Amino acid sequence: MKRIFNWVLTHPKSILLILLLMTGLAVSQMRHLYIETDMDAMLPKHSDAYINKQVLEERFGSTDMVIIGVINDDKDGVYNTHSLALVQELTDWLAAQPMFRTLALNDLLSLATIKDIRGSEDGLEVEKFMDGVPQTSAEISQLKQRMHEFGVYDDVIVSADGSGTIFAVRPMPDSRHQYAEIYELVKAKVAELEARGGSERFFISGRPIIEGVFGAYMPAEMKRMQPMVMALLLVLLFLSFRTPRGVLLPMAVVLMAEIWTLGTMAALGAPIYTITTMLPILILAIGIADAVHFLSRERLLAHYQAYAHRKERIVEVMHELWKPMLMTSVTTGVGFLSMQASDLPPIRDFGMFAAIGIAYALLITMLLLPAALMLLPEKAKHAERKPLFTAYVEWLGGAVLKHPKRIMAMFAMLLLVALVGVMRLDVNASLVDQFKPGDPLRQADKLLNKHFSGTTSLDVMIDTGHENGLLEPAFLQHLVDLQQALEKDPMVGDTSSIAEFLQTMNQALHADDPAWKRVPETADMAAQYLLLYSFSGAPDDFETFITGDYRQAHIRINMKTDETKVVANLLTQMQAKTDAWFPAEQGYKVEWAGTAFTVYRLSQMIIEGQIASLLTSVLAIFLLCWWMFGRLLIAAIAMIPVSLAVTVNYGMMGNFGIPLDIATALTGAMALGIGVDFAIHYLHRYHEESVAGNSYKDSVINTNRSVGHAILFNTFVVVGGFLVLLSAALYPQMKLGALIAATMVICYLATCYLFPVLLGLGKEKIRV
Amino acid sequence: MNKFTLVVLSAAMLFAYPAYSAEPSGLEIMQRVDARDDGDDLMQQMKQRLIDRRGDVREREMASFRKDYGKDSKSITYFLEPSNVRDTALLTWDYDGVEKDDDQWLYLPALKKVRRISASDRGDYFMGTDFTFEDIKQVPELEDYNWSLIGSDMLDGHDVWIVEGKPKTDELKKNLGYSNTRYFIRKDINMYVRVDFWDHKGQELKHLVSEEITQIDGIWTAMRAVMTNVQSNHRTELEFSGHRYNTGLSDSKFSERMLKRGYRGE
Repeated sequence: MKRIFNWVLTHPKSILLILLLMTGLAVSQMRHLYIETDMDAMLPKHSDAYINKQVLEERFGSTDMVIIGVINDDKDGVYNTHSLALVQELTDWLAAQPMFRTLALNDLLSLATIKDIRGSEDGLEVEKFMDGVPQTSAEISQLKQRMHEFGVYDDVIVSADGSGTIFAVRPMPDSRHQYAEIYELVKAKVAELEARGGSERFFISGRPIIEGVFGAYMPAEMKRMQPMVMALLLVLLFLSFRTPRGVLLPMAVVLMAEIWTLGTMAALGAPIYTITTMLPILILAIGIADAVHFLSRERLLAHYQAYAHRKERIVEVMHELWKPMLMTSVTTGVGFLSMQASDLPPIRDFGMFAAIGIAYALLITMLLLPAALMLLPEKAKHAERKPLFTAYVEWLGGAVLKHPKRIMAMFAMLLLVALVGVMRLDVNASLVDQFKPGDPLRQADKLLNKHFSGTTSLDVMIDTGHENGLLEPAFLQHLVDLQQALEKDPMVGDTSSIAEFLQTMNQALHADDPAWKRVPETADMAAQYLLLYSFSGAPDDFETFITGDYRQAHIRINMKTDETKVVANLLTQMQAKTDAWFPAEQGYKVEWAGTAFTVYRLSQMIIEGQIASLLTSVLAIFLLCWWMFGRLLIAAIAMIPVSLAVTVNYGMMGNFGIPLDIATALTGAMALGIGVDFAIHYLHRYHEESVAGNSYKDSVINTNRSVGHAILFNTFVVVGGFLVLLSAALYPQMKLGALIAATMVICYLATCYLFPVLLGLGKEKIRV
Repeated sequence: MNKFTLVVLSAAMLFAYPAYSAEPSGLEIMQRVDARDDGDDLMQQMKQRLIDRRGDVREREMASFRKDYGKDSKSITYFLEPSNVRDTALLTWDYDGVEKDDDQWLYLPALKKVRRISASDRGDYFMGTDFTFEDIKQVPELEDYNWSLIGSDMLDGHDVWIVEGKPKTDELKKNLGYSNTRYFIRKDINMYVRVDFWDHKGQELKHLVSEEITQIDGIWTAMRAVMTNVQSNHRTELEFSGHRYNTGLSDSKFSERMLKRGYRGE
């Protein structure tokens, strides 16, 4: 190893050149980085939610619509000439935008496009509810009455109380990269309409909008948080070293590591997901530790002038530090790599690239710092300056020895409270809940869900197994039954299927007698009704409900929430019904899809991945510690502070009602990997102190004195770095930041307060 | 204007015409297309193939009769296939011009009743095909478009005029669903063999291609027509056969009674 170190020191310029070239290479790759906002892409490709969504789009077209709601709180709601004129205007405007696909009726649904199916004495009328803007109050009340009677669109297009109406419009296929643009476009139009001073208020939501906002937020977040973390590091580094090189060299190390990591992501074609936006911050906050250790040790040796030549001194530093630095990097890396146990690509990517970033930081520390120190002019002599918090660290050494029982009692209580919280831990992968409660988008979504049938889609696809199968009266009746069962759930706003249209037509063709609002009696009749409807419909009007061969049917469900619990509950209830009505042995196949289903599967995978990655990381880190310290007991003790901290982490989530989601799910393995470093540093030093023949008491005091600072610095950086996430626009990031910060504080306390007490247990005092 | 002045006027135009232009105007070409002999009545079989973007095909077969009454016409169509819609029949009284809505009656055998169905907008799709009601008329309402001849070309070995027709008003564009249309008209027989359509946003929307043009009973007839929607990738193929022109179909053929009776050959 020393040979390599020597080589590094004799070729500082080549080393710097190589590092710069690598950095240049990474920068050149970074233009390939792209942002992934499609929630379905967060699922593994083999997941049924992912596959079914593809199948759904292939068979029935995309169901992701931009939703615009108009709400008028005046007495008549939207049933007045002014509001209806706005509806007509906005509809015409939407129809004229090239970003929207407006070929078929289902591409653009609004009060100004939907058609009424009505029967009369001798005929059938299929016509638009609104043919131009109604001018007289008689015309308006007629419109209102017809909406109520038709039923299919009541509460879907117009709210039940008439206070609001909705537009649903489909973006052009394959226009995901334009979603943010679409949002801006619609927002501007709506602002123009609102500025005219009517009493109508507009709200925009829908999956494309949510994804578009994500896409716009993510790069903005990365750009905004980067300088904040850098400023924090600068302050902490300055407080520690107070020299330009002490501040700039570690910064150079971590920035280089960050660029390399992003370059690697780009070269491997890995997309940026919402959670991987946190990677830069993470690498800055964790990667800095190695450089800080290196520089403080070098300064200490320089201060004591232990080596005559600069080169010898630096070789000694490298030699002393490479093992502990490697070990702590490995344990931290293992914590992140354990995320590979998850099935979810964002979590896997996050873990993998965090581990890669940490490895880069170590490598760059070991190359850049020695090379730079060789090239920079040697300082005459370092003045000895007492680091900050010396008094605190000195006090700590003695204090912990005086109150072992109190400390034990405190941690026991903490553990108890945490365990209660763990029992209450929830999971929620809701897309909308990723926005802060005050976010305009979340507000809009909430309001739309309150007034209308719901903005979250859930889809059932039923394959009858044979051509024309869906025309069978028994099948159609079961579709209706399933819709009724679904609609019993208060969180289901509305369901629609081909059965509903056929019922309405049946009634219309029987002189509008409500008694005939039932499915056609024969398959032929159903076929003839569909033919009849086609006289006034576009070729793909029913594409969203049935396939051209009449084999597969689709029920579209609008839900008022995408909370996992609600969806899980609904799906469990429906399972029994679909098994009974569409039995597999008769050739039926029932498949679920849609945003709500994706969220449900995501939640399941978060929990499964969570458990798997926690177990993996606990086991792997335990084995590493065992190997490092050579004794099972010490390895077990090393695990105590982190295990406690991780338990408290989940306890906090349970107690504060923070659910496990795609971001907070990372906290366990992450905290474990970062936190165990404290224990390793501590135990390593304690071991050396006791080997040197010091008593238990002296060992504790000395250990505190020598590594207390480094651990405190580490804690500050990690806690500070993650607290920056509190400023995040996205809720999960914020929660994750707060959780990791709090967990690291616990981890610090457990290491520096609980450890000495534990080591003092037993008659013999544990010798390390 | 009496008949005499009309004759004089048109004669005058006919003589004056070569003096100022070697080519007819777009409107004149379209008038020739409109005036083309398509028989006073017609019976034919038709096969419809609706092909969706996934390539799934839905087929229908029908037999239809048409009779002209001056500028108006009446037609009756019987569905033969698929079997679940067999004997469904549609009777249409088609009035020239846009003032009077067409009358439509439908017989549904499953209900055993004739139902009058509401007139459709011109831009509405017809029977779930890619043809709108405007498209299935032999010639669009000429006075609703500004016609201009934009050139000549060769298409499948025939000289064609290319005539552009833009709906005159925004209202018409919205109703028809088109902002522009372009007709490729064979110079020798005054029949269009291809039409391109642009939607009201100005984006390319559909292509209609007429194929296998032959003369039956002295009347030029396309045996196949394919309409492709390039936006939805939906396609409609029509195949015609068994044409018989000018057999002197009786008026009673186009009545409610015949609608219910179903198709019995002639």
